[in-house]
Amino acid sequence: MTAAGLNNNTVHEIASITNSNLLVRMMEMGVLPGKKISLLKKAPFKGPMAFIIDGNILALRIEEADLIHLKAE
Amino acid sequence: MEIAEKLGTRRIAIIGNPNVGKSSIFNQLTGLNQKIGNYPGMTVDKMVGYFNKGEQRFELIDLPGTYSLLPKSEDEVIAHKVLNGQGEEKPDAALVILDACNLERSLLLGTQVMDLGIPIAFVINMKDLAEERGLQIKTFALYQALGVPLVMTDARNNQGIDTVKSLFIEDKFVVGKPFHELDFPELLGVVQEKFGFSQPYQAFQQLIFASFDPTLSEEKRIWLEERAKAFHFDPQEQQTKETTDRYQKIKELLSKSVLSGTNEPRKFHGKLDAIFLHPVWGYLTFFGIMLLIFQAIFAWAEAPMYFIDSTFASLSSWVVETLPPGVFTDLLAEGIITGIGGVVIFIPQIALLFGFLAFLEDTGYFSRVVFLMDRIMRPFGLHGKSVVPLISGMACAIPGIMASRNISNSKERLITILVTPWMSCSARLPVYVILIGLTVPDEAWMGINFQAIALLVMYLFGTVFTLLGAFALKFIIKTKEKSFLMTDLPIYRMPRLQTVFLTMFNKSKIFVFEAGKVILAISIVLWVLASYGPSGRMEAVEAEKIAMLENATDSEKEEIMHVYASKELESSYIGILGKSIEPAIRPLGYDWKIGIALLTSFAAREVFVATVATIYSVGEEVEDELTIRQKLEKQVHADTGEKVFDRATGFSLMVFYALAMQCMSTVAVVYRETKSWKWPVLQTIFMTIIAYLGALATYQIFS
Repeated sequence: MTAAGLNNNTVHEIASITNSNLLVRMMEMGVLPGKKISLLKKAPFKGPMAFIIDGNILALRIEEADLIHLKAE
Repeated sequence: MEIAEKLGTRRIAIIGNPNVGKSSIFNQLTGLNQKIGNYPGMTVDKMVGYFNKGEQRFELIDLPGTYSLLPKSEDEVIAHKVLNGQGEEKPDAALVILDACNLERSLLLGTQVMDLGIPIAFVINMKDLAEERGLQIKTFALYQALGVPLVMTDARNNQGIDTVKSLFIEDKFVVGKPFHELDFPELLGVVQEKFGFSQPYQAFQQLIFASFDPTLSEEKRIWLEERAKAFHFDPQEQQTKETTDRYQKIKELLSKSVLSGTNEPRKFHGKLDAIFLHPVWGYLTFFGIMLLIFQAIFAWAEAPMYFIDSTFASLSSWVVETLPPGVFTDLLAEGIITGIGGVVIFIPQIALLFGFLAFLEDTGYFSRVVFLMDRIMRPFGLHGKSVVPLISGMACAIPGIMASRNISNSKERLITILVTPWMSCSARLPVYVILIGLTVPDEAWMGINFQAIALLVMYLFGTVFTLLGAFALKFIIKTKEKSFLMTDLPIYRMPRLQTVFLTMFNKSKIFVFEAGKVILAISIVLWVLASYGPSGRMEAVEAEKIAMLENATDSEKEEIMHVYASKELESSYIGILGKSIEPAIRPLGYDWKIGIALLTSFAAREVFVATVATIYSVGEEVEDELTIRQKLEKQVHADTGEKVFDRATGFSLMVFYALAMQCMSTVAVVYRETKSWKWPVLQTIFMTIIAYLGALATYQIFS
């Protein structure tokens, strides 16, 4: 599943990131395979989602979060 | 000789991730000794600051915050040009600011700068936060691994700044050994030679920047693209590879020199975010904070604005009294001084707005607002970050338009810039107040005054058009750029007042000098048009006035002066212009007198008040809205005997002022932000057409 599907604040590990022209940008901001990610808050009406990655809070739109694949627990 | 070598300026570039405290450090090193310039062909400001130690002068270039040197926006292009000496003078050294809590991420940029072959030093900032999280950074191990001097600082609490200064003074900058290994040795060698680079990584960067640098010559660009194709060098692929490889190496390095703690955001901040990001409370607190800010701006700006107004008025009178009468004196007193006064009077409001915006941004709150508003802004072709320009447009569009810089997508930024002036700014307020007083009954409905409702309607009207305009532009303006959000929500911090004041000061300075030039020029033009008329006419009126005054009693004299001030305006160029556009504005319910007010208001909306006072012979000193309103109420059309300012005309005029571009300062700032006259001109023309149609429709509906 992807980070866009997260509903609670359980911690997951990033397995991979879909290749797109946002890939490099995401990696630069610290989104990398192997990092721990959890959901902090969702904005209403399918708005952006705020995640905690490596101690940082990162806001991503749903379509951006959908690029992050999580390791199956 | 050593002493001779030390003189001259040492130039050092400062670079780091956003939110790492770079500006804090820059401000502490340079204070008020800052200068804003520009990079030719780019919208980003060139921030430069100075400090001296004895005979030695240090020039610090504050590069825009960025996560890496790989191109994504103008910010990286500038970092690339400055650090590689391409079109910009190459600095003697670079200072890279790293985040103690995010060493991995900030070293991506750090090692990239290292590989450019320029002498560098690292500053690890926010060490206080690292300590709280239980992070232990073994600086000596890190120093050995990187081979570059490191200084730990806590810029907000003034720790370590002196050590940073000594880095400069003792010139401790060192060229690090190359960090990342590169492939494509022949390709890089060829590019190195063509561009005169000393390091292969510089060549690598140049290949990647080939399609991004707007100032690169066409010939060079094609050359780079052909070489890349020949060697099967795919820039996109290479960037991904470089980033992945670098991180790999950085991780290994850090595993030996950093012991991690809990690495979680503070609990207190979690509580703040629970409110600020809450689906209900988040929006409510945002609304409340905005109300407070607007309240403060209106309250605090009032006294200084009044002071500035009377000072310039006195200065003007003093000039008229002291200097010999003549064209030059009049030009000075009424054209230049009034024009400059027109710029300076903006300053209290704009400075306060800049100050509050800087304060909120420094706390980290704005990124939360962007988070809340992004979903709402997107259907209109706007970005979450557009909310700041739009909201500040309710006080004044100018700081808002300047703030739209941080929207990286050029289409979203352009749309934001183009529609912000439709938000009801504070200059429209005097116009609304007078016209509502004339046309809306002062009665209450269910406990709320009709007039207050009318004012609210005007504000909503502006907002609706802003969004509609953005929506329309979404389909008209094309771009291939992808829109994205992806931002950091930084730790909440108490803003440093020094930073806030410096930002306030610098931005206001930009406004005064840039918009100021345009406003002054147009003020003088308008003054000429209003003071001079085709030969004979104005002199004839003047002669008539003198004749009338001779036969008048003292009590009649003032009335005569006012009536003739109006007649003189009528026979000036602008009066004639007003008369000539009368046929065009009749369908809107206006006569030539209102026509003159429309023309002069092109300079600034609140000029409506002063112009109307003159045309309807109220007398220039009286800007009392009540007096003006009483005079306007009595105005009747010469031919029909009906009221000039009836409901239809009043509403139509309000709609016109809501929609038209009547602010030279805004035009000047839009020019500055879009780097061409195309957009401000198109914007003005378009807004005026919409205003005309809107006012026309309003008049026809209500009459």
